[in-house]
Formats: sequence, structure tokens, C-alpha cells
Amino acid sequence: MKKIRVTLTVNGHTHLFETDPNRTLLEVLREDIGLTGVKEGCGEGECGACTVIMNDEPINSCLVLIGQADNSNIETIEGLAKDGKPHPLQKAFVELGAVQCGFCTPGMIMASKALLDRNSHPDEEQIREALAGNICRCTGYKKIIEAVQSAAEEMSHE
Amino acid sequence: MEAFDFLVPANLQHLATLLQTPGRKLIAGGTDLIPSLRQAHSLPAQIIDISRLRELRYIREQNRIVHIGALTSFRDVQNSRILNEKAPALVQAAGQIGSPMIRTRGTLGGNIAHASPAADSLPALLIMDASVTLSSQKGQRTQMLCDFLLNPGKTDIHSDEILTDIFFEKPSTNCAASFVKIGPRRGMTIAIVNAAALVGLDNDGRINQARLSIGAVAPTAIRCRLTEQALIGCLPSEKLWESISSIIQEEISPIDDIRGTAQYRRRAAFILSKRALNAATQSLQTRMQA
Amino acid sequence: MNNLRTVGKSEIRVDAWDKVNGSAKYVADIQVPNLKHGVVLRSSQHHARITSIDTREALQIPGVIAIVTAKDIPGEAIYGPIIADRSPLANERVRFMGEPIAIIVADTVEIAHQARKVIEVIYQPLSAVFDPEQALQTNAPAIHPDGNLLSHFHVENGDIETGFNAADLILEDSFSVPRIYPGYLETEASLALWDEEGKLTVWFSSQKPFADRHTISQVLGMPKEYIRVRMAVIGGAFGGKEDSNMAVLTALAAWKSHCAVKIVNTREESLLAHPKRHPARLYYKVGVKNDGKITALQARVYMDTGAYASYGPAVGQLLTETVPGPYRIANVSADTYVVYTNSPISGAMRGFGSPQTNFAYESLMDMLANRLGMDAIEIRRKNIWKPGDRNFTRIIVNQAEALEDMLNRAAQSIADLKNISPAPGKQSGVGLALAVQTMGLGRGVPDDSTHQLEWLPNGKVLVRVGAPDLGQGLNTVAAQMAAEALGIDYSQIETALVDTAISPDGGVTCASRMTYLTGNAVQLAAQKLIDSLVDEASRLLGIPREKLRYQDGTLMRTDLEGANPISAADITGRLAEEDKQIIASGTFSFPYGPEIPDHLPIGMPHVKFCLAAMVARVEVDLELGIIEPTHIVSINDLGKVVNPILAEGQIEGGIAMGLGYGLSEEMLLKNNKQWVSRLTEYLFQTTQDMPRSMETIMLEYPESTGPYGVKGIAEIATVPEAAAIANAVYEATGVRVHRIPIQREDVVFVKRS
Repeated sequence: MKKIRVTLTVNGHTHLFETDPNRTLLEVLREDIGLTGVKEGCGEGECGACTVIMNDEPINSCLVLIGQADNSNIETIEGLAKDGKPHPLQKAFVELGAVQCGFCTPGMIMASKALLDRNSHPDEEQIREALAGNICRCTGYKKIIEAVQSAAEEMSHE
Repeated sequence: MEAFDFLVPANLQHLATLLQTPGRKLIAGGTDLIPSLRQAHSLPAQIIDISRLRELRYIREQNRIVHIGALTSFRDVQNSRILNEKAPALVQAAGQIGSPMIRTRGTLGGNIAHASPAADSLPALLIMDASVTLSSQKGQRTQMLCDFLLNPGKTDIHSDEILTDIFFEKPSTNCAASFVKIGPRRGMTIAIVNAAALVGLDNDGRINQARLSIGAVAPTAIRCRLTEQALIGCLPSEKLWESISSIIQEEISPIDDIRGTAQYRRRAAFILSKRALNAATQSLQTRMQA
Repeated sequence: MNNLRTVGKSEIRVDAWDKVNGSAKYVADIQVPNLKHGVVLRSSQHHARITSIDTREALQIPGVIAIVTAKDIPGEAIYGPIIADRSPLANERVRFMGEPIAIIVADTVEIAHQARKVIEVIYQPLSAVFDPEQALQTNAPAIHPDGNLLSHFHVENGDIETGFNAADLILEDSFSVPRIYPGYLETEASLALWDEEGKLTVWFSSQKPFADRHTISQVLGMPKEYIRVRMAVIGGAFGGKEDSNMAVLTALAAWKSHCAVKIVNTREESLLAHPKRHPARLYYKVGVKNDGKITALQARVYMDTGAYASYGPAVGQLLTETVPGPYRIANVSADTYVVYTNSPISGAMRGFGSPQTNFAYESLMDMLANRLGMDAIEIRRKNIWKPGDRNFTRIIVNQAEALEDMLNRAAQSIADLKNISPAPGKQSGVGLALAVQTMGLGRGVPDDSTHQLEWLPNGKVLVRVGAPDLGQGLNTVAAQMAAEALGIDYSQIETALVDTAISPDGGVTCASRMTYLTGNAVQLAAQKLIDSLVDEASRLLGIPREKLRYQDGTLMRTDLEGANPISAADITGRLAEEDKQIIASGTFSFPYGPEIPDHLPIGMPHVKFCLAAMVARVEVDLELGIIEPTHIVSINDLGKVVNPILAEGQIEGGIAMGLGYGLSEEMLLKNNKQWVSRLTEYLFQTTQDMPRSMETIMLEYPESTGPYGVKGIAEIATVPEAAAIANAVYEATGVRVHRIPIQREDVVFVKRS
């Protein structure tokens, strides 16, 4: 198997590396770059635990072969806080009880951020639709939706 | 997953050359391929990444014909002004495929080529009498989508071809279209049955165009041509929609599977067809009154 | 009770920030040097003899380090949490599809997969059975040597014949509930590594680290002292991580290969092979008087426990105790059969028997009401427990008065929800269900929990919680209760994850008991900790003990006017210089007193109960049979709400799981004889499926033995949903469903009443 060269900018840092092509973006983020915030929940795009933002769009990183991510810009949960200041979504998730076991949380927050990046005043149905691909087994989603609404509110005052 | 070589063609010509060697698999959005590789017993020796071929990602209108590049994502479809105007059923379908993440990466060409009988884009395209363009080193050919779909997971694509374009012409008469889908749950779901209808009315309000396509009730998504014929010349009404019940049953051949029984699908095919036809008609009548 | 400083407040979860910034480490995230990877070869057959396993070709592959099979097991090959009937790796026989046969250890997961593909297993298929009633027939394939009946529990009270004779109406019916999957987002994962002294550390997201340590030591034939089990952050459990299998497999892999090994289950493996909620068929016969009073209830329940016992007998016991629901019925007879089949293992899952009976008895209550022309509230009012009542296992029901309150609130909710008109083309219906859940492990089963407090040099207190936080927030409520008991601020408490080398044994996090046990234990430990602080202060400062008074983290001298308070840090800081610490532990045992009747087998009865009521509104698309829950009102008695946001979170999550049980989740055998094992086929509720209105009402009828009056909430939160929905569907459609998940076919094609 011929190795491939990949350039990946993750949370503002650019990485150049050589790797086997039969790996997904998810594996590379977790194993090579050490960003274990992104999780594997199912490996086939049915749970959303692996959601990251790639080139400003939300994607399942388990469904992207690493070669397909060459020269892409990736945002993960680890890159959300700026200068030690948490993102309003992180703050809202913490304060409103939207986190229980936490396994769905990074993917859920990234999918929420992708929503707020393009729609700063989503209504409840739009939030539910944006998060329909992120499964949570602990919360019943209610506090997650409240957290997104709260973060949107806070961000609209910034 | 198992080893494979990863080939990235620089452009379409290069891709066409690569396709001369059989046995290679294409990856676009990966939303169907990667799950199937996970379940597969063995992997192809080479996987060709076409996801970066920008030349295949477009939506344009030329001389009344709408062309959609095969690598257009469902998110692109949802956001397209042209498609919202000219193919609203396709836009509705796109919005109900998978999850937002799937819609970011999943492509129209991929949805067609994967040819699931339950694929959501297919009924919406079939009511537009859509065609596909297939390109290879030998050149290009086109084929009606309804002829291109052969069986579950199987199309008439040749081993050296790639699906590059989907096109259709919006009917010149006054018409409107609608897409409906039901799945075992509301969010992120595969269709138990889906349906798309296009209805055109003449100045007397009688149906002069009727196109109905239903998915997940036959080996491929199908057009219900007998049903369509039965509607021509009629005045739309609840009674009319009810009357097509038995003809629809003649045209479909659903099976039992994990998502539903054949019996349920027969019922659902009728109900969804009624609703799609009714929604299209109402939308058109509203527009005509305005 | 009124001036609590932190108990009752929605304090921020202790690990919330780590979870939102990606730094929380779950087992699969752990990296160690020279880590190898394990992959499990599982049975492709439902039931077969294994005639040979050929690993020669696999061992030749470069990068393959070792392959473990049953013949390698050094210690006791057979284990099980209640009945030892299972080998961690199949020995000559496989009894369910997905049963582990071998572990391949390799440099990478990919190489291990390659090796797995070329291992040749020769099977001699045996006939298989997947239905418990069929498995009890004489000609059924024998799954275990002692026959397919694992356990039979019979409990009765009063005289069933007299009861039925007194009835004006007798209803007999049967109900069917599915196999469902706990469905935690974090699949089972374990990492085992050796230290220089030959001791084995096993990281495992487990509900019972100490018990796992014991099992690992048995299977490896190594002393317990050589094995250390450590918790990372756990991504949900719901009962499914009470099974030791993953930890044992990983320990075996490390043992055989002499390497550090990580094994992470894929979602397919987790769905297929890890324990699930028992599917069951329930046959009920109920006799009732015209005024609604139930005179007799008889039930026969067949539970499919799958290929191995796991927690089957215990689930069977709890199920049996909940057969008559929260009702005072003088004559009850229950028979529960826990049966082996070749299905994947059923074991512990949230509810542990009570969701199953709840669907049956709450559907029946509405059916009875309907036949008698009474409404759902009235018939229940006629039969609910009253204060002082004993249930049919002769235990006094704690805070039974909550039921009346719950019914009144439910009645109000029902009236409000009935006023809402359905969307065009839909029919609406409102349904009610009550629920009872037991707490604790049952009489005769060791049911105690030890937790430890340590006063740190900086004055903060470390709570070594002895049982794992599964993600529900145990460490948070433990911290709150420790802070409360010590009179200090919640911010002054630290918590640690369970490590069997350091933590006390808090027992298994299960059975709706941890907040209750931990709080009690922490109160005991806190008292001892304070005493120790006073003792040490007395010694260090040369002040007699009686002249020191502890108050809210400081010591006041009662002998000197205007003396400065002495902070705890003053003392612990000085002790640190002497290399001493103040540590105290507290053990609390679930209160099974000598007055508890002992006429039932060990594990029965349970002596504390949680109660709840739920109202559900649905809108139904009658043409398609699509059921949309629009409103849920969940009324629960928690005794004392330690942390409102956390408690609501438990309830809201329980609602999602309960709705899945009622509407969308089922792990079944498909027509092609393969089990459902993918998330495209096993359907959790998504954001778009959930009701747009979820109201949680949390009552506080204090339980005298609970810290601050605390009871449990974890399980009951997910019990009444299916019945409430089924009752709402009946009102909307006239269709009475007898099985869940509710099938659209049953709504669309069945005759309406």
C-alpha cells in the first residue's frame, strides 16, 4: 500500500505527514494528532460522535478518508476555546446541564457551532434538525437544545 | 480497514484513464461507500477519490435545461436558488436525507449510482424525467434515469464510465411538485416509502400533467405510468386521489424488510402518493390564483 | 433541612468542563508506550460445537503477537456474576452468535483484522432456539447441561382462587416486550498493562471495578493483590457495563502476549454481543369488581435470558416483585421463568425487570377501566397503595402517600392535555401510567458501600467515591453531600475516579442506590473526618479536645475569647509536614433489618421503592399509523433532590430511552437469520423524534433512611413511558397494542374498538 502525503490544518496548526491511505480523518485526528476529543461511536455516520467542522461545514470524520481531507481546514472541540476563554456553547452546555456522560458532547457542540456559524438565530425546530444526526443516550436532548438557544442568545450580544 | 491504494485524479480525463482498469471503486462523499466497506468481506485494491473534482460540482440552467454536476452535495441542492425554483421536490428530498453531516458530504451522483431502491433523490428526479450523462475515455452518452436504474444497487453504468451530470427540463406548462417520505423514525432515517408527484393543470383546472414516482416499493424507484395516465384530464379532488388506490397496487411490488412489511408499504405507497399529488396540486392552485 | 448550603442546588457537574473541552479521557483515549491491539473473533453460528480452531496461518502474519483461545485460560475458565456458566472464550461450544472464541493481539488493529480473517473455525452446527417458551419444550435443543430453565420464581400472597371467585370481571391477556440495547455512546473498551513488578492494571469502563478485579484474578489464576482495575471517564452504562467480559478478555490478551493491550468493541460488536434488556412474554389474568377494586392478579412471565445467565436470575427476581405494580391487591400469584435460548445474552439494563411488567400491568389497568366504564385515574385511585400498605412480598411501601399526590397531578395534566386539539388529519390521545421501581440488591445480597474522605493539605477535601460515576453525575452529588456534611463549600471538594488500588470498595453502581448509599456513607465518613481533625488539632495546638468546636471547615476555641478561627488547612498543612493525612471512610449498608421476611430466595425481597406517574400525549396519523409523542409529563418522588439539573437530566434521558422502548428500538433476528447489529437498524430516538414538551415534576417525600431523604431516580425515569404511550395510542385510535415497540402495522391494520 503506497503511503500518501497529507497537509491538514487543525485548529489553526498545520500538520504535514505521510500516512497509509486506508485511514479515516477520525483515526488520524485521534491517533496521529492526539486530539482524542473527537470520538468513534459507530464508524458509519449514524451517531455523530465524530462530528468536526471541515472547511466550515459539519461532517462525520469517520466517513472521510484521510486523503480526501488533504489541504483542509479542520476545527475540533479542542480548538473552540480562544485564549483560555470558553466558547459560549461550551459555557452553556456546562451551565445548563447539557453534559452527562460527555461522549456525545464534542460532536454535539461542533454540530451546534456549525449551525450557529450559518444561522445565528435558529428556532427550536432548526436546532433539532441541525442536531438530528447526533445521538445522545443520556440527556433526552432537552438541555442540549436549551444550551444552544442560550449560546445563540449570548453570541448575538457579542 | 484493509489496505488499498488511493488514487487522486487531477481532472476528468485523468479519471477516465484510471477507469480503464477495472475493479477500482470511486469515493465521493463516502457516506455510502465507507459503511459498505465496513461490512464488506474484502476491499478493492484501489480507491479513486473524486471528491475534489470541482468541475463536477455545479448547478446551472441553460436553455431551460437544468444541469446538476454529479458531485453536487445535498447541502448544495438545498441552498440552490435554481433548484428551489425549478425542482422543489428535489430540494425537499435533499433536506430529508440522513443528517446535516451526511448532507454536507453526500452527493447526488453518489445517491444515484448507489441505486438503493429507497434513495430519496430518485423519485424527485424521476418525476422530472431526468437523464444522466455518463463519461468515459470513449466520450459521453446520456440515458434516461428510469432506464439507468436496473436493480437494487445496480445501474447501467459501464465499468469504465463515471456519472458526471444529471439534467432535466422543467415542463413548460404550469406545474408544481412535491416530495414526501416516511421512515421508521423522524430524524436521520432511511425511507420505508418515499414518493414524488408533479402535477400540471390546464386553464380549466384539469390535470394535464401527472407524474408520480415511488421509491422502496420495487427493485428500483419507479414511475407509476398507469396511475399517471388515469389522472390525465381529471379534476383534482379527494375522490380522485382515492380512486388511484388499486392502480398503484398493480404498479408496485414491495417486499418485507426490517423497516416494514410489504402490506404496510402497499398502504403507505397509496397514502404518500395521495399526499404528494395533493400537495403538488394545492401548491399549484395557490400559485395560479395569485 | 431548610438551610442546606449545597444539597438541593444545581451545582456544576465536577467533570463538565473536561467534557466540553475534549480533555476528558475515556478508555479508548488512553495511550501507553508499546501498546498492542486486541481484536475478538466471534462466533458466526447461533449454536454449534467447535471441532477445531486453526490459528497457524494467522500466527504467521507479521505483526501478530499472540492468539488466545479457551485452552490458554490459566485460572478458572468458568465465571458469571450470579451463576458461573460462561467461559470468556468459547470452549468446544458456542451458544450465541457473537460469542467470543479467540482474541488476536497484534501491533495494529488492521493486522489483527487480517489475522482474524484467516483463522479457521470448524463448526458443527446444532439446532438453535430463540424463544423462551419454545426452549422449555421437551424437544428443544439443550443449551446448558442442566436444561434450559435457568430459574423459576414463584411468589404469592393471599389466595388466588378466592380472589378470582370474588371478581365481577376477569380479564386475561398477554403482552410482549422486546430485546433492547443499553446503547451507551461509548462502546465497551478495556486496556490492560503490566508494571515492572508483574502486576496487571486493567482500565475498563465498568460499573463494578472491584468485582471485575475479582473475576479477572479468578480467570487468570492470579492473586487479587496483583490486579488493579482503574476507571477512566465512562461514556454511559445503563446496566450494560455490569458484565466483566471485556475486562476479562483484555486481561487474557495481556497475559498471553505479555504486552499492554487495548481492545475496543465496534458498535456492531457491542450491539450484538454485549448484554441487553430481557425480552419477555407476560401472561396476565386479573379479576376486578365492578367498582374497580382488583381482587386477584395472576401472572406467568417467560424471560429470554439468552445463551448465558449473566444477571438473569436477579432480573427475574426483581421482575417478579413488580408484577402487580404499585397496587394493593390481596391475592397475587406470580411465576417467572428465566430461560436460556441461543439469543445474545440478556442481563442488567436500566429497570432490571420493571419496564417489562410495567407495560403489561399499566396496559391492563386501562383495559379494565375501559371495560368497567371507569376512567384511568379512578381505577388507579381505587387500587393504589396507601400509607402503611405492604406489597405482595410483605414489605411496607415507603412514602406510599406520594401516589395519591401523583394521581392528582396526573389528573390535572391529563385534563390540560386533552384540551389541545390535534393537527389537521391527526387524532390525539392522552395516556397515563404509574410505576414502581425497587432500590438496592435485595435481601441477603451484600449491599453495602464504602467511600472515603481525605482532608488535603490545602484545606480541600478529596472524596474517593468507591463506585463509578457512569456519566449520571455520582461524583457530583457525592461532592455535594460531602460538602454539606462538612459544612464547607462545594468548590472545596475534589473527587477521584475509582482505582481499586486506592479507592474503597463502594460496590456496583446500579439498582438506583448509589446516591442513597454514597450520601449515607459520606455522612458517616464526614463525622469521623471531623473527629480526626479535632483530635489532630488538639494534639498540634496543645488544646484539650473539649475546648475545640468544629464549624463549617474551621475550628473555634471555646476557651479563649476573641481567638481567631483555625482553618482546616492550618491543621492539614502542618500534618503534611509530618507526612500524615486525615482520612476517614464510611460504610453504609442497605437497611435489611431482621424484621424483613425471609420466605423468599436470597435476593428477594427488595425493601425500598421509588414511585412515579407519567402522562403522555400523542398525535397519530391514522392512515399511516405514525405515532408522534407531543407531550410528556413525568412525575417522580425523589425523596430529596440533591441536584435539580442533574435529576432532571436523568429523567429527560430516561424519557428518551423509554420512548425508544415503546416506539422504535428492537434488536431482533432478521429473516436472514442475522441479528440487528447496526445503528441503521437499531433506532434510538433523535432530536426530531422527541416530544417538544417534556415536563418533569420532582416531588420530595423524604425517605427516613436516605441522606436528606434521598431515594433513587436512575431507573424509574425510564419505566412508565411505553405503557403511557400505549394507553394514549388506545385513546387516539381505539387500538390496544400488546407488544412494543408499537408496530405501525398493528395500528393501521387492526380492527378498532
